[in-house]
Amino acid sequence: MNAAPDSRPASAVKRQYGEGGLRKGKGRSFASRLVSSFKREKSLYLLALPGIAFFIVFKYVPMWGIVIAFQDYSPFLGIKESPWVGWQHFERFFANPDFLLLFRNTLAINLLNLALFFPLPILIALLLNELKEGLYKRFIQSILYVPHFLSWVIIAGLTFLLFAKGEGVINDMLESAGAQRMDVLTDPDSFWLMLTLQSIWKEAGWGTIVFLAAIAGVDPERYEAARMDGAGRLGMMWHVTLPAIRGVIVILLILRLGDLMDVGFEQIFLMYNGAVSQVAEVFDTYVYRVGIQRGQFSYSTAIGLFKSVIGLALVLLTNKLAKKFGEEGVF
Amino acid sequence: MKNIRSNFIHTTGYSALAALLAITIVLAGCSSTSGGNAQEGNQAAAGEAVNNSKNASEGAANEAKPEEPLELSIMTVTPSTPPAADDNVIKRAIEQATNSKMTIQWVSNNIYDDKLNITLASGEIPDLIMINDPFGSTFRTMASQGAFWDITDYVKDYPNLTGGIPDKAWESSKMADGRNYGIPRPRSVKEDSFFIIRKDWLDKLGLQQPTTTEELYQVMKAFVEQDPDGNGQKDTTALASYVSPSDASNSIGGLGPALGAIEASFTGVNGNWKWDEQQQKLVYTALLPEVRHSLEYLTNAYKEGLLPEDLLSLKLSQARDLFKGNKAGIIVDKTGTMKLIYASDLKKVVPTFKFTDFYPLTKINGYSPKGIGFNGLLAIPKSVPEEKLKRILGLVDTWMNKEVNDLQLYGLEGVHYKVENGKKVVDSDKLKQDNGSDFNQIVNVLRDDTLLDKAESQEEIDAILYAKKVEDERDATSIPNISAGLYSPSADLAGPDLDKRIQDLKAKIILGREPLSAWDDFVAKLGSDANLAKISQELTEAYLTREGAATQ
Repeated sequence: MNAAPDSRPASAVKRQYGEGGLRKGKGRSFASRLVSSFKREKSLYLLALPGIAFFIVFKYVPMWGIVIAFQDYSPFLGIKESPWVGWQHFERFFANPDFLLLFRNTLAINLLNLALFFPLPILIALLLNELKEGLYKRFIQSILYVPHFLSWVIIAGLTFLLFAKGEGVINDMLESAGAQRMDVLTDPDSFWLMLTLQSIWKEAGWGTIVFLAAIAGVDPERYEAARMDGAGRLGMMWHVTLPAIRGVIVILLILRLGDLMDVGFEQIFLMYNGAVSQVAEVFDTYVYRVGIQRGQFSYSTAIGLFKSVIGLALVLLTNKLAKKFGEEGVF
Repeated sequence: MKNIRSNFIHTTGYSALAALLAITIVLAGCSSTSGGNAQEGNQAAAGEAVNNSKNASEGAANEAKPEEPLELSIMTVTPSTPPAADDNVIKRAIEQATNSKMTIQWVSNNIYDDKLNITLASGEIPDLIMINDPFGSTFRTMASQGAFWDITDYVKDYPNLTGGIPDKAWESSKMADGRNYGIPRPRSVKEDSFFIIRKDWLDKLGLQQPTTTEELYQVMKAFVEQDPDGNGQKDTTALASYVSPSDASNSIGGLGPALGAIEASFTGVNGNWKWDEQQQKLVYTALLPEVRHSLEYLTNAYKEGLLPEDLLSLKLSQARDLFKGNKAGIIVDKTGTMKLIYASDLKKVVPTFKFTDFYPLTKINGYSPKGIGFNGLLAIPKSVPEEKLKRILGLVDTWMNKEVNDLQLYGLEGVHYKVENGKKVVDSDKLKQDNGSDFNQIVNVLRDDTLLDKAESQEEIDAILYAKKVEDERDATSIPNISAGLYSPSADLAGPDLDKRIQDLKAKIILGREPLSAWDDFVAKLGSDANLAKISQELTEAYLTREGAATQ
């Protein structure tokens, strides 16, 4: 992380690092620094203790469960007794002809999502920002937020009611307009697009909240200055609002890329059927099918671990890239 | 001086704040956990209290029975929402009759597979757990590792377990080592899902009951084109069917019950493996030319609208709705579902519909399936000590006594039924409300008498008698699933993927998204598939071992 210039008064620096400030601490080992810093800042550490304990107990301790990815885990034998098999499950996974298919589908669905879905909340937020504060704006916002609170089960049901070939409303309309009924639910070509449209329908409105908050933080003087320089509404949007929320956009993009290997399981699971399986099977559905339904816990843990490693790598990579381009990044 | 004091206040202030925060958080944590415990504790205490009072009363009434009630946890499936509550009257009555205190976890049948696998994986297994597919890999592995009691040598001490459950059920629920790791829930082998057709539709269109796939096709076509519901619109389909991904591995040809029955009628094989006398081995049915024929048949049927258009998106309940809602005239199910699932609803839509119009077909192409003789089993984990194991077996044994079993079938006198002319007249709504039949999901006894006994009209009696007649006719020639329970380690690994590939390809062909020649290409490749050859070999060995053991 870039060392920000320390703007605290000297006394504060002294209190934190003791006489001699930063320089003195550098030569000592990490442990001794930790001990001395602990001695000095007992109360602060005490304050942090519940938080640290929480993370250790609920996040880091369970994480040891991933060792079963390297075992032939049996629930009855437990982690201690289950035989160790090393990389066998990973080898099996990578040798599986479906691996590339899963990889392709997961990536395709997410990239499509990134390309079509990600810019939309920004766009909507910009549009909303142009509305005058008042009843109308709040009404529009509420309408946009509502779909977020519907579960995927309901949305899958709605999609079925609208698009089903037999009873779908849209197909009924098409037919009465003299067109052919279409079967989009079992069409592999339109499956990814259908998923993306569903995500947009459900989450695009909700996604505006972060951007709206960021926009609200823009200094009004900048708009004033822009107006003085002769910028119109579009000009202000382009030259003031967008640059002001660029940091937020980048952070969200980084976080989004970290999830590149995750696809909303529920959504796909509900839309899944035999005819589209070639394009619908992703890591998450595969893990469910193999791990939960077939009880191959080690194998599915190995897949999950692989996914996480890729996700972590992507976050680190994009974070680094973002910094290179002068943005803040997430850490 | 001032500095020191302020510093002092400063630090102590912080410490106090920190300590306060820490304490609150710890307390909050404690209170939430103890809250949970307290709740459980309360429940336990409540249970205890009931037990104690019951004990007290029992103790007073019957001093010869000083044994503490058996406390046990049970997990099983339920089709009802909401499931029976802990203080359900029927549950209480059964507890009293069996001297037990049961904590029952009812799990919806839609998610039972998942829930079961997760429960098994968690290692905290209820004392009595319903295993719906004992040949699934999780249970099989755990049983072979010794996670469950081998009850083979214990059951002989319990007359109802040996006498009340047919040998066939014990036999077919054995694991690969020839031992029983659970009490099978017996089902009649005569009762298996097969075609049921609307007789009123047949009569209206002047059609005979179909006996071949060809005739079935003609009937289906008539059901679609000749307006059997008489509303002047061409808005009916014929076969209420669906193909769900979850059926890929556990239905015939991976096509779900309805289309699977059609494929089986073509192949004459129940299951996915056919014994080939010439080659002396089990052959995968997908390789048979009959499967191609059935696929062609289904493709045409779909094209002509004889199957629901949204075949792949429908679920079991939606397919049932098609039949219940007067939109489809044929369904594949067990005859016992008549009143419970279909007829009552259908009567509301079509007032002229009679129970006897729910018309089971005897055979198609001479084929009808034979049931496996049991539906899941009750297993007891090794974490239960031997003494308790014996008591649990005893509990099931007592539960199978007619008086106890009657509690769930007829309910309580005065509450769910009254006796008129020596016959129990059941208030079926009240009994359903109190989840009477849910307890069949724990202990079920094969009893011929009850359906007829509980029938409320002559029409219903006629329908039941006809169904029985059909089942008896089927029984003479019905085909058992010879591959059920055979174990192949390779199938455990490669099977699911293969099943899924087959289901997907068939689905695409039926929908017309792939040509039939795609199937030929697939079969050509499958014929030389190393995995399949290995599965076939392993299953054949297992089959020969079992048959050999059976004839000795």
